[in-house]
Amino acid sequence: MASIFDKLHYRGNWNENLFKKTLAVVGTRQMTHYGERVIDKLMPDLVANEVTIISGFMYGIDSAAHKKCLELGGKTIAVLGSGLNHLYPSSNQKLYQAIIDKGGLVISEFDDDFKPTLWSFPQRNRTVARLSTIGILIIEAGVKSGSLITAKLGRQMGKKVFAVPGPITSLVSAGTNFLIKNNLAKMVTDISDILETKSEFTQEKFLRDLDRTEEKIMKLLANEELTIDEIAHKTGISIADLSVKLSMMAMKDYIEESNGKYLVIND
Amino acid sequence: MLTKVLSVANYGLKAVNVDVEVDIARKGFPGIGIVGLASRTGEETKERVKTAIINSDFDFPNAKITINLAPADLPKNGPGYDLPIAVGLLASMAEITLPEEKSYFYGELSLDGSLRHTKGVFLLAIQAKEEGVKNIFVPRLCANEAAVINDLNVYPVDDLRSLIRHLRGERLIEPLKIINPEDLLTDIRPEFDFTEVLGQEQAKRALEIAAAGGHNLFMMGTPGAGKTMLSRAMPGILPDLTEKESLEVTKIYSVTGNIPPGASLVRHRPFRSPHHTTSTVALIGGGTNPHPGEVSLAHRGVLFLDEFPEFNRDCLEALRQPLEDGHISIARAAGSVDFPAQFILVAAANPCPCGYLGDPKRECRCTLHQIVNYQKKLSGPIMDRIDLHLNVPPVDVNKLMIDQSQSNAEPSAVIKQRVITARQIQNKRFAKLAHVHTNSDMKNCHLKAFAQLSDKANLLLKQAVNKYALSARTYFRLIKVARTIADLAGSAVISDIHVAESLQYRIRTSE
Repeated sequence: MASIFDKLHYRGNWNENLFKKTLAVVGTRQMTHYGERVIDKLMPDLVANEVTIISGFMYGIDSAAHKKCLELGGKTIAVLGSGLNHLYPSSNQKLYQAIIDKGGLVISEFDDDFKPTLWSFPQRNRTVARLSTIGILIIEAGVKSGSLITAKLGRQMGKKVFAVPGPITSLVSAGTNFLIKNNLAKMVTDISDILETKSEFTQEKFLRDLDRTEEKIMKLLANEELTIDEIAHKTGISIADLSVKLSMMAMKDYIEESNGKYLVIND
Repeated sequence: MLTKVLSVANYGLKAVNVDVEVDIARKGFPGIGIVGLASRTGEETKERVKTAIINSDFDFPNAKITINLAPADLPKNGPGYDLPIAVGLLASMAEITLPEEKSYFYGELSLDGSLRHTKGVFLLAIQAKEEGVKNIFVPRLCANEAAVINDLNVYPVDDLRSLIRHLRGERLIEPLKIINPEDLLTDIRPEFDFTEVLGQEQAKRALEIAAAGGHNLFMMGTPGAGKTMLSRAMPGILPDLTEKESLEVTKIYSVTGNIPPGASLVRHRPFRSPHHTTSTVALIGGGTNPHPGEVSLAHRGVLFLDEFPEFNRDCLEALRQPLEDGHISIARAAGSVDFPAQFILVAAANPCPCGYLGDPKRECRCTLHQIVNYQKKLSGPIMDRIDLHLNVPPVDVNKLMIDQSQSNAEPSAVIKQRVITARQIQNKRFAKLAHVHTNSDMKNCHLKAFAQLSDKANLLLKQAVNKYALSARTYFRLIKVARTIADLAGSAVISDIHVAESLQYRIRTSE
């Protein structure tokens, strides 16, 4: 990974795996409540799918994405537009430490004592775009913004660009709406838009995650809808253990509950 | 001649001293006048006392008799003053002499002179101890209530005649032996055992969690699914009443006359299931002389409200204070009274007015409009205070028969042991907090300190919030339930499996 850069400074424990499945999440510094809610909605599934979140450490969307990811126990990489000794914005000192403590990285292309300049931030955007494997997700961006630069750079590198639509009355959604309208970005309304198709995600999980008992439950439910008591009776699993299994399987969208009965979701 | 006899009146959950003064005057027209007692009660008392004295082979004096119950401004009611009035009369007639030590007399007279079961004897005994009154003379049928209070001579009185013989020193009544509360409060067998409930494994688990964390519970299911049976078995898996708790409950049961003749302390955790037509006053307590309601009778036990949506809206609204604070204050013009009301609420409802929505065998006859209206009643402030929500599916009788033969249902005693262990963990955790005893008592501000989620658990919960569009309230309730599940598993941290199990008991918006 490091080979694609001339030089790269970093803090934290270097771990190649961090770079395998990454999504750049960028956006405005003037984040609104809407932007925050978008992050709240999308981040849990991204973290659950073990996606590393890459962002630019700026306040607004960048910081919110880093923070939410860490809060959910995910890994994140911050790319600075300054040297590592010049933390900018300095209010993010705590976040800086948290990223490193939780197994993420803070990286920069600049020498440690480099002070941020006007041109160093666009350069940082390029790095962010380059590091993303899944693509670049833009949550709230104005028409003339760094995020749109990142999107443009990403497109030139052949990366996928995703944008979350916003209210047409909001200035900080004008950029994202513009991208969507002009087919410059794929519109994202839920996580399956980013992680390709849902079935890929599910099948992958299916093969990896289903243990013996879960397979047994799936087979039972394939035939008929059953209450938890009936499943317990047929499998001999205790109610407490079965409750855990069923909740987990429902969360992963294998099964769902309706009127007290469980059934398989076919998609 | 004037005599003064000591007795008590009950106000709220406390007995208050009352002096019963009886005067037989030499002058004036014959007759009896009672002052200081509600007029109707006074008339009745007069007749009972007069007849009982005559039927005990004494002549009733043909003179002007005045009876005063002091203090005059204290509301006094009920038939407990029959005995002190009769004793006062007999003493004024110089038939008997009153004991020199301070003594309380209390009890309702029957026309033949025998004493009937009278409510409030337990409170009288407590008051006697506080006031340093040495002897109490109470009906034999409820004398055992007083026998748990030490340093007291409890004289069980059968009838007026035997009391007179005792006071004349002819044949003494043997005071009751003190009963040690500990002896009463050990080796309690549940009135209903979980082994009696067939199937319903998930519901049993939910009740176990509810009992362990003091959580309120809501069950939805078709008629005959076993909702009532399940709730009845719940007191049996709660830890035994401690002595302090039993005394609290006994006070309430004594003052409402709910202690059966001959019984002493309340030994079992209360189970109350008022009908859905119950009035607000009966449920919450009240009246001019405030009286505890069902919520207080369920104190330290289980309050079961079947047909929950059928309850009067006012009734349900009035449940908010006791659910929140664990007690209920009833304010009346004469003053306010506080009754304890700390109970686990178990609410049950059918899925629709006819009850058979979703039943595999019977057809539901409700219109969509009816169903929507019915389920609308199932939301609101009370439902928000219930931590565990579950569906109780109808049970297949044939299957159950087979099940029963190979039954390995857990007896209540085994479940109770797990509940006790989980409660001990909570006692330790909340030792420093005055108002938090169980996980369900935690306020949101306590969660950070006492209900830490692991990273994975936190992630799972956040995902669930998104997936099921859970409200912030539900989010916090789930954390509390997960805390209890972790306690049952003996785990200090709440991990994802505990959250996963708690998700089974989340509130479902109308399906």
